[in-house]
Amino acid sequence: MIPFDLTYHRPSSISEAVQLFEQIQKQGKTPLYYNGGTEIITLSRLNLVFADAVIDIKHIPECRVLDRKQNELTLGAALSLTTIEEANPFPLLAKAASEVADHTARNQITLGGNVCGQIFYRETVLPLLLADCDVVIAGKSGLRQHSIHEVFDQHIRLEPGEFLVQIKVDPIYTTMPHIHIKRRKQGNVGYPLVTVSMIKKERDLRVAFSGVCPFPFRSQAVEEQLNARHLPIETRIVRALQQLPEPILDDVEGSAEYRLFVLKNILTDMLIALEEG
Amino acid sequence: MIGKSVIRKEAWDKVTGRAKYTHDYLETGMLHAKLVISPYAHARIREIDTKKAFSIPGVRAVITGEGLPLTGEDLRDRPPIAFEKVRYHGEVVAVVVADTLVQAEQAARLVRVVYDPLPAVGSPREALEEGAPLIHERLGSYQKGKYTYPEPNTNIAHRTKIRKGNMKKGWMESDVVVEASFSFSPSDHIAMETRCATAEILPDGNIVIVASTQSPFMVKRLISAYFGEDVGKIVVRTPLVGGAYGGKAPVQLELLAYLASKAVGGRKVSVWNTREQDMITSPVHIGLEATVKLGCTTDGYIKAAEILFLFDGGAYSDKAIDVTRAAATDCTGPYHIENVWCDSLCVYTNHPYASPFRSFGHCEQAFAIERTIDLLAEKLNMDKLELRMKNAIRPGHTTPTQVLLNQSNVGNLPACIRRLYELIQWDEWQRIEIDARTVRAKGVSCSWKTSTIDTDASSGAIITFNPDGSVNLMSGVVEIGTGTKTILAQILAEKLKMDINDVHVKMEIDTQSTPEHWKTVASRGTFMGGRAVLEAADDVIRQLKDIAACILRAPIEDLEVGYGKVFLRDDPSIYIPIKDIAYGYKYPNGNAVGGQIIGRGNYILRHLTPLDKETGAGKPGPEWTVCAHAVEIEFDKRDCTYKIIKAVSVIDVGKVLNFKAALGQVMGAMSMGLSFASRETFLFDQYERVLNPQFRTYQPIRFGEHPEYIADFIETPQIDAPYGARGVGEHGLIGMPAALANALSIAAEVPLNQLPLFPELIWRTKKGEQYDSF
Repeated sequence: MIPFDLTYHRPSSISEAVQLFEQIQKQGKTPLYYNGGTEIITLSRLNLVFADAVIDIKHIPECRVLDRKQNELTLGAALSLTTIEEANPFPLLAKAASEVADHTARNQITLGGNVCGQIFYRETVLPLLLADCDVVIAGKSGLRQHSIHEVFDQHIRLEPGEFLVQIKVDPIYTTMPHIHIKRRKQGNVGYPLVTVSMIKKERDLRVAFSGVCPFPFRSQAVEEQLNARHLPIETRIVRALQQLPEPILDDVEGSAEYRLFVLKNILTDMLIALEEG
Repeated sequence: MIGKSVIRKEAWDKVTGRAKYTHDYLETGMLHAKLVISPYAHARIREIDTKKAFSIPGVRAVITGEGLPLTGEDLRDRPPIAFEKVRYHGEVVAVVVADTLVQAEQAARLVRVVYDPLPAVGSPREALEEGAPLIHERLGSYQKGKYTYPEPNTNIAHRTKIRKGNMKKGWMESDVVVEASFSFSPSDHIAMETRCATAEILPDGNIVIVASTQSPFMVKRLISAYFGEDVGKIVVRTPLVGGAYGGKAPVQLELLAYLASKAVGGRKVSVWNTREQDMITSPVHIGLEATVKLGCTTDGYIKAAEILFLFDGGAYSDKAIDVTRAAATDCTGPYHIENVWCDSLCVYTNHPYASPFRSFGHCEQAFAIERTIDLLAEKLNMDKLELRMKNAIRPGHTTPTQVLLNQSNVGNLPACIRRLYELIQWDEWQRIEIDARTVRAKGVSCSWKTSTIDTDASSGAIITFNPDGSVNLMSGVVEIGTGTKTILAQILAEKLKMDINDVHVKMEIDTQSTPEHWKTVASRGTFMGGRAVLEAADDVIRQLKDIAACILRAPIEDLEVGYGKVFLRDDPSIYIPIKDIAYGYKYPNGNAVGGQIIGRGNYILRHLTPLDKETGAGKPGPEWTVCAHAVEIEFDKRDCTYKIIKAVSVIDVGKVLNFKAALGQVMGAMSMGLSFASRETFLFDQYERVLNPQFRTYQPIRFGEHPEYIADFIETPQIDAPYGARGVGEHGLIGMPAALANALSIAAEVPLNQLPLFPELIWRTKKGEQYDSF
């Protein structure tokens, strides 16, 4: 149960949504953009999220786009993870999406919500980081489009009142060799112990991680070490893991030592598969 | 009728979503309670300030722990609301009652409690260390049952001792000895329906409780005992229960609902657990630290067993005392051992308090024993099933509490083992390397269980008729999802030789009109409820024959009841329909004789005795169900991950009463056992706070992750049971943790003596805590 009163708003256009946000904020209230809502609902029960008003952006046409053009794949932020799995416009993303939560939850969880969420795994962002995609953001001054690397650093960096509208992916990335491996503490559903996404662009490997640090990331330093092909795989992995941005997570999902062990094995399997493949 | 897979009576209501549970009965005008719980595992309560809570509109009362009596079934150590100090993370410190649940929750957040944290005790061994913080300083002053033995100035709530034979002789005769220690932390039951209750005190003084409970009759007795209310004024109603597994045997929220209603002038108040509170505030699945030492001859006959169980009973003893006693009762597992020493302790810690968990101390105990049996087999270099077969308990042997066994009360374990042997193709392979990384292994275990319930527990049944000759059956067994009410209907239909569709079962319990069934626990519903139903059926048959004898002008001895009629045994064409006599017989001239036929039946356990304080000698239950189990796994040697391929249980059920219901019970129990063994545990921080009271991080097994389940039955009748059937509600679970641990230990080639068996645990054990650092 949500233990506070809130108003629900369902704008039908981007500008209406942005205006609503501003209006509500001007009244001294706290608005939140609402997409799938799974996180807002479950965290507000626990008093970890608060809002006076939620602005549901799922009904804005631009947020629902799934458009495959020859030179651009556009994915609306309100597409559910199961929609992405079923349409499969970007197999690595579909795979990452299919491993999040459980099927019932994925019917509700949206791409935008997973990328922008508070819960720090945000696993669908891994393929997006690897594909150097663009993000379309709506705000007071209209739409702006940026490389994901400019707005996503550990988490999405949005100005107050802004929301994620679309993701734009260059289709060449959707056909590259790739692997996505998610390992949990136990079983097939749940948060990651470690999740790794990897693609091979020409000769170079790109890699992004979730569950390793308390945020998802792609690191140039890590990739450089992994791509040092003159060295044996094991050495490259050891060196790559020395480049992690923060000490490895140590929490209820698993200890730091165990995560390292798992990570090393996953990277070994991935390197062998993609370099030989 | 017996053995047929009759669809359970409440199935249509359940599959269409129309079945109603306690929290579905909402009423306008009903008030709602919200529990304020402790964020600390052990702390003194310095101050509770409720003023701010009253600033929320609709708040009617805020109840705190002052002046309340202590509660507890065997030992009264628990205030219903914490007073002066809190002893576990999640303990109730205040109850807020308001017009709506939202208001109650808003107000609950404004109750300010100031705590002085105390050092917390995180395990039984820690609790027993010299100088450990005392969790109950006044343990010696608590009111207790005659057979409860707390040890004041320690953290020991109760100790059960088993002393059988001569240990010195046992060790003398032993050529090979193994000893090992085992442990796991508390976890939870995770019933789909969280625990809840409503209470209302009517102007005439009647107290009406509606609760999701396995023990409606105990709720009534305990409210009377704790609060001095007239027992006859307390009415407890229990509709369908959405899973219980022992977690709904203790009485907790019912007391809070009663107190809440009392605080608001008797208005109806609902108390309902959120999932998080259900996991930690209400009682949990017990934890254990155990050490087992077994000695045997070179040819594999076990001669001595020394067993120490240190159960993590948590902050309050309540039902945990009984659980630890039950584990002691069957401490050796189903093996013939002449010399046994066992101490089973119910130890206080600052963890959530424990309650029964499906199998009542047995899956816990079996994990330790069956792992040790495997270690013994390895040391002897003997086949693991052969060692079990050699020592299997048989008629003529005695149990740890010195009960002499016969075929009726113990069944046939060797037959279970033989069937298991075939089902898992034991002789083909036990460990097989599939490729460089993958290995498959089979682990086995045996188990047994008796019921260890109160020696004077009883069950009653009432049968009434409808004008068409169909019957209504009322039994105090709660329908907790086991389908027992349907089984009772089958027993009655068989006895009255009538169509199962003509047996109407009253699903809800109302303690005012339903005859008592002690508690719906311990796989006792079919045995005790069944015996009561059979007696009630005999009563009905006698009454029907009495009146039919007059009308048919035939001696009672010549009459038979069945197929809706009372008929002459030698000439069934002479009969009277039951419908014509069930409400009295009316002669053509209007005169009537007889009257409503109401059948009554009762069963009380016989010849049970409490355990002797010094030796444990005594008869805990009427019969044992014996079982043999196996688990086959596929293990990845590099990653230490695994898949459970197959799980098998062979159970001597005496007689299968409803084949598919029995399969369902056994498979469900196996699933629960594997879930517990492979992934369910509370994780505690250094202050003993539960880190994962949520499904995000506490993940039971899911559909799709299950192995192939195989359940098979041996039928050695228990002579005094309805149609020979033994209890079977829990037994599929008992051997699962041990069988899984045995399989993984064989696959990983290291002894795995802790639960749950996360890949990380296996990895750590293999590494011997030494790991590469990069």
